[in-house]
Amino acid sequence: MTAPRPEARPSPAPVPRHDPGPGPGPGPGPGPRHDSGPVPRHDPESAPRPGPGPEFAPDPGLAPRPGPGSPRPPWHVTDALALRYAEGSAPETDAWSLEKHVESCTACAARVSAAVRAGAAGPALAAVRAELLTSLGHRPAPVPVSAGAGGAAPSGSPLGRWARLWWTVGPALRGSWAVAVVLVVGGAFGLAHGAGFQGAGSLLLAVSPVLPLAGVAVSYGRHADPLYEITAATPSGGLRLLLTRTAAVLAVCVPLLTAGAALLPRVAGFPGAAAWLLPGLALTLAALALGSFVGCRAAAATLGGGWLLAVTGPLLAGPNAAGAGAAVLAPYFSGSAAQGGWAAAALACAALLVLRRRSFDHLEPR
Amino acid sequence: MNPSPAVAVTGLTVRHRRTVALDRLDLSLGPGVHGLLGPNGAGKTSLIRVLATVAAPSSGRVELLGGDVASHRDRTGVRRRLGYLPQDFGYYPSFTVREFVAYVAWLKELPADRVPAAVERAVERVGLADRIDARMKTLSGGMVRRAGIAQAIVNEPDLLLLDEPTAGLDPEQRVDFRELLRELGREATVVVSTHLVEDVAAACTDVALIEAGRLAFQGATDELTALGGESGAPDDSTTHAVERGYTAALRAHRASDVRTSGAHPKEALR
Repeated sequence: MTAPRPEARPSPAPVPRHDPGPGPGPGPGPGPRHDSGPVPRHDPESAPRPGPGPEFAPDPGLAPRPGPGSPRPPWHVTDALALRYAEGSAPETDAWSLEKHVESCTACAARVSAAVRAGAAGPALAAVRAELLTSLGHRPAPVPVSAGAGGAAPSGSPLGRWARLWWTVGPALRGSWAVAVVLVVGGAFGLAHGAGFQGAGSLLLAVSPVLPLAGVAVSYGRHADPLYEITAATPSGGLRLLLTRTAAVLAVCVPLLTAGAALLPRVAGFPGAAAWLLPGLALTLAALALGSFVGCRAAAATLGGGWLLAVTGPLLAGPNAAGAGAAVLAPYFSGSAAQGGWAAAALACAALLVLRRRSFDHLEPR
Repeated sequence: MNPSPAVAVTGLTVRHRRTVALDRLDLSLGPGVHGLLGPNGAGKTSLIRVLATVAAPSSGRVELLGGDVASHRDRTGVRRRLGYLPQDFGYYPSFTVREFVAYVAWLKELPADRVPAAVERAVERVGLADRIDARMKTLSGGMVRRAGIAQAIVNEPDLLLLDEPTAGLDPEQRVDFRELLRELGREATVVVSTHLVEDVAAACTDVALIEAGRLAFQGATDELTALGGESGAPDDSTTHAVERGYTAALRAHRASDVRTSGAHPKEALR
């Protein structure tokens, strides 16, 4: 059974085609067609239907008049008939007539629909409709579904917005890497404020570009992602997954490390808190580009290790004065030449990554 | 003959550094359950990986579900209709079975509103419905394997590739699993790599036997059984017959070795 929906029919033009049913005659017996209903309303504007055909008696008790060319008496479903139809107590012939009529009459379809929805079959119909819409790819509308049980998101559904975000960010943000980033920033604060170490800011700056590298290394690839081989066989795997996870890593790193560096005590002649951003971006893109050849973990380890040896090592080895730290870091961070160089490197690595984008479609080399 | 089999491989060669895993392999598979048999190191996993589009062939042409996997666009289309269970696969320990399977469904780009029902159906088909909200780390090895099968079938794939799917399953689970395989094979092309001959005897309509990177035999399971001949032993069983057929086919292939590599394998499309 279908619940006719009035909005499905744009034009309410009543075209009265009253077929009493599949039978050849107008009715099985001589009895009245409408045994108890009120007199159906006449509609003077309805068009007559030419040709012979079974008709519906306009008045109860009147025999049908099968006459070729006779004007068709208009007929509409009364509220009483709709109600009886809804509760299943309408005589079979009346039910046939009604079902035929609502195929072409919007007003009556609406009346019958309302009666059926209000009746005992209402909840079942609503459920069927919701399920049908769902299976057709619609978002379940909030209106027809009865509140409570079968809502849009069944309990335990993993498809909530947060769950999906959680999936997207990948293993790095769920694992110990996020803890490590927080520890680095917290450690710098502890050194600066607790121990009164003046070089805490330079130390944080020197370590910052390596942290997103570590995040990438533990987010993606054969060694980091237990689902790696399964994801590699899906349309979302490969570079797309790698880039979303890298973006998630950067979204955590950038605000946390920049704010951390900005809040630490300032030292004269020291690079600004945002100075690490371009080196960090360049190193991250370099790791992705190099990763397309040797795998993400090896690439991140190479670049991160190189950075630590070149920058962080001399900083630790040098004298513990704040000014000395600034002198070590200045060539890497300060001035437009250094920053411009990092920007150029980032662009070059991005271009290489674009050229190598298809290499992520297959398993990375062992 | 079917104009476009689900798997059409010609001249497939896969090299790992110096060693050759697959050597100019030709293979064509249509709907049904295909057992991929062969000694250890014969190249079964290399072949499954190429068919799963996660490994690129060194040379040769691979067409899956009518698409050439060398093209990125075709490959992406194929991947939406693919199910793959790797031989060794991991999971995020804190995910529940439902999340694990739904995650893969999401990666396979199933429409979001179809995912919950698809996940429940897949998990139910592998018999894990009662543990659907259990965390992966609390599951036994056999249950993890079944969760892996569930993620492979969640998108109702047209091409399903299972690498050693029965490892870790107990005998009763194996019986259920073979029933599921037969059911899946009625519409999809299912390739099951296994070293268990009884899996093939019980669940596979066809067999492809690989030896040293070459196709040693391809045909219906009955034909492999027939190769083994009669044993006359009173306790003979189907499994024994398939084992004898397996051994006979391998020996025949080794004897003819290089000479017949193009002539021996039978094109059995169905």
